[in-house]
Amino acid sequence: MSLIRTESVYKSFGELEVLRGITTTVEQGEVVCIIGPSGAGKSTFLRSLNQLEEITSGKIFIDEQLFLHKENGVLVERISASEHKRLLLEMGMVFQSFNLFPHMTVMDNVITAPTRVKKVPRDEAVADAIEILRQVGLEDKHDAYPSKLSGGQMQRVAIARSLAMHPKIMLFDEPTSALDPELVGEVLSVMKKLAESGMTMLVVTHEMGFAREAADRVLFMCDGIIAEESEPNELFSNPKNPRTRQFLNSVL
Amino acid sequence: MAGTTKTKPFFTRRRIVLFSVLLALIVLAVAMIATRPSQDALVGCISEELRESAGAKYSETYLNFGILNVARGRDIRSGSPETYLGAFGQIFDANDGAASAVANISLWMPSLIKGTGITISLTVVSVLVGVVLALFLALGKMSKILPIKWFCSGYIFFFRGTPLLMQLYFVYYGLPLISSALAINNRFMAAFIAFALNSGAYVAELIRAALQSIDKGQYEAAKSLGLSYAQTMGLVIVPQSIRRLIPPVANEFIMVIKDASLVSLIALTDLSRATQTIMNNTFSVLVYVPAIVLYLVITAVFTKIFNKLEQRYSVYQ
Repeated sequence: MSLIRTESVYKSFGELEVLRGITTTVEQGEVVCIIGPSGAGKSTFLRSLNQLEEITSGKIFIDEQLFLHKENGVLVERISASEHKRLLLEMGMVFQSFNLFPHMTVMDNVITAPTRVKKVPRDEAVADAIEILRQVGLEDKHDAYPSKLSGGQMQRVAIARSLAMHPKIMLFDEPTSALDPELVGEVLSVMKKLAESGMTMLVVTHEMGFAREAADRVLFMCDGIIAEESEPNELFSNPKNPRTRQFLNSVL
Repeated sequence: MAGTTKTKPFFTRRRIVLFSVLLALIVLAVAMIATRPSQDALVGCISEELRESAGAKYSETYLNFGILNVARGRDIRSGSPETYLGAFGQIFDANDGAASAVANISLWMPSLIKGTGITISLTVVSVLVGVVLALFLALGKMSKILPIKWFCSGYIFFFRGTPLLMQLYFVYYGLPLISSALAINNRFMAAFIAFALNSGAYVAELIRAALQSIDKGQYEAAKSLGLSYAQTMGLVIVPQSIRRLIPPVANEFIMVIKDASLVSLIALTDLSRATQTIMNNTFSVLVYVPAIVLYLVITAVFTKIFNKLEQRYSVYQ
């Protein structure tokens, strides 16, 4: 069963075409990494899935339902508002710059959305948050404010905050790019654990090691299209597209 | 926060000095009250002085303020006022010198304090109501719904673009001419309405700037978690804006304390008008000293309060 399916998704910022026909599928339980040079449209594609960017044309299916269909900037079809909201909640998002709420403690960051959006009783939300924070290795930081945490800890809180909504899909937008090198590992290991637990993940990353180890499939994006996609071993050791080869040579 | 709180001893050096000064002042006040001359002595004093110069016919006023007993009479022949000050059991003829200054100031204090009360209360209620009004104006100006956006932008443009004095005149003198139903007979009420409407426009721009200074990622994170617009604003954006808002709002507050002197022109007696009235009656430039001190004290106290607020809202940084 596919959780995400897109059909020829186009997106332009004015004259600039950032996405030029992205068609792909993410199956349940699959971990897909998107790699590619900067400006390839990786983040834009990820952000257009959960409506942080408006696409220009194309169809997006979430959980096998037609989520959005636009042609040349005109909305053709969209599911009902309540279903739309429900499907948005199936996608958790982790940002490059964490975007934690700085005026809330770690615990409040994690329980705000469950209590306010899903109306989970506070004590249930807290019990759940304690468990999730334990999973990301931050059980002793409940009362800390984000400013007192390291970058790696902040990103792990951000992951916990998304997980607290129990999404079916986790979207990661370059989760380790803003981190000091020595802090990258702790975030990646949390993500690996998450992948092993069966979470469906779509990860835009520059961490080739992570893509090789954790991904079921790797998409190489370039100039707004998916230039190549295959299993990580295949893509890294035997790239077909010359652009892929060129990119891998420059980063590895 | 556990483990970071440090208990401070109650008697810090600054507090000991402060308490000593307060104690000394209290002792002094008690001594002065205890040894003050009686009302009869004061009356006697004045009567004698005036009787000598004007025979049996004179008018006089006696005032008693407890700590400093002040008697005031008028020299019938010259018509000039005379002030008598009694403290520590002594009676001075206080037409000049330091004793005169103290006596005069203590005579003026009640009306100056009353004026200060008007100044402070007008400023506090106007700015508080203005801030609430401003929050809606700022959100309205940022709204995507065009009529709301136009109305709020127009409001802010109008009230920032015309003089506060004219707005005050219009509310107090203009509205009754349009319809007697719009007449606001209470001067304080009229001043409050004009000041709150005006303050709302200024603070709205401060709030808009503060809201827009919040990182776009905060909106995105809130959206990706499913928070509604109202929840995003109420739980995420506004709480973070408050700390950034405190310094500019404090500034606005201190401006309004002084703008409040405009209410003189609708004959509401604030601190400035009280000062001017005394000045007109006594021809004594001395009245500016307590007036200035009072203004500075108000400003200092409110600056302190806003600093404390800022600290409290900075706890997460």
